[in-house]
Amino acid sequence: MRNLLNFLLKYNNLIVFLILEGIALYLLANGNHYHNSRIVNGVQGITNGINERISNTRSYLSLREINSDLASQNSSLRNTISELAQEQSIDFTDVNDTVTGQQYSYTPARVINNSVNRQKNFFTIDKGTRQGIRPDMAVICGNSAAGMIVGCSENFSVAISMLNLDFKLSARLKSNGYFGSLTWDGKNYRYALLNEIPQHISVNVGDTIETTAYSAIFPEGIPIGTVVEPKKSGSDFYVIKVALFTDFKKLNYVDVIANLRRNERLELENRFK
Amino acid sequence: MINSALRLILSGILLIFFQILILNNIQFSGYVNPYVYIMIIMMIPSTTPAWLLLIISFFTGLIIDLFSGSPGMHTGATVLAAFSRPLVLRLIAPRDGYESGSDLSLAVYGLRWFFIYASAIVLIHHTALFFLEVFRFEGFFRTILRILVSSAFTLGFILLLEYYRKGK
Repeated sequence: MRNLLNFLLKYNNLIVFLILEGIALYLLANGNHYHNSRIVNGVQGITNGINERISNTRSYLSLREINSDLASQNSSLRNTISELAQEQSIDFTDVNDTVTGQQYSYTPARVINNSVNRQKNFFTIDKGTRQGIRPDMAVICGNSAAGMIVGCSENFSVAISMLNLDFKLSARLKSNGYFGSLTWDGKNYRYALLNEIPQHISVNVGDTIETTAYSAIFPEGIPIGTVVEPKKSGSDFYVIKVALFTDFKKLNYVDVIANLRRNERLELENRFK
Repeated sequence: MINSALRLILSGILLIFFQILILNNIQFSGYVNPYVYIMIIMMIPSTTPAWLLLIISFFTGLIIDLFSGSPGMHTGATVLAAFSRPLVLRLIAPRDGYESGSDLSLAVYGLRWFFIYASAIVLIHHTALFFLEVFRFEGFFRTILRILVSSAFTLGFILLLEYYRKGK
């Protein structure tokens, strides 16, 4: 007790100072919205940082569990694949789901005839109307655009390749969303041209080009290629040389995409034409 | 003794009015905000106990805060300045110490001493005040510039008032 009193006497000025300064800071924090929010944010930043560290450490410690979880998930997925693989080659896996509304359904197909060296190239796939293929469906290879169906027989379909002077596709720059139309100039099967991108936009070499949903054929965001050379032409638009992701010389397995809502959309759009 | 205390209180009130009514209304470029009321903390005699000085400074700051709508800002800065005053006085003590009962003024201790004393207190006060006002370290040098410019103006006012006191 005596020591405490001595201590208080010795540091009385410091204690008075700390009390008064504390009151002042309390007033500062409570009386001003700006200071209040700065303090709250600062404290939250600190606690968030600590929490992040804790959760990082924790997730590292539980890696073993996560690993075994993933392994079991993997094996169950493998089982599903082997079950599905038997049905797969026949038909669209069509889910009649009116609640969540599946928009696109995919069916795999094989390319059985293909060319890259003409001006108007087409390729043929081994599925037709019997497997649910219709004209104006999109064809992708792996995850990148390849062409679209133009004609079907009972068991075969012909698709217009991207390497065709008549092929036109609405495409956009992934980085900033500006869209233009993608065509082929008939010169090299590795490159296509993206037109109608205005010149005030900065286009960098290596930017990704992807599809838009404007055509009601391709789903949005299917990658097409990367910018190789943005050239400023005489007009107000770029002519962008695009290296295609799809290698048409080894086109083999493709997926056909059906847009289940295409008719609904076209009907609505035609009403206003 | 009573007389000098009364004069001190009176000049303190005058300084607060000067600050609230005139200096707070100077709207000049955002860099120039003189806070002359801090002179109250300088004028209090050196024999005053430190805790009393702190309490006086607290209420001085509180009054200024109430009138400029910035709770806590001036209070914090003024209490800090008052807390550091004994330290400043010890550091710049004249060779034969302070005469008890004398004013801490330009008239008694000379221009050079007073200038150092005043600039130390003003700089401490303004640094605390301006950083409490912006409450962040982004734009650090802009804040430093504001502190320096405002301190210069405050010092100018304080020196003028000191010369006026001396002349009287």
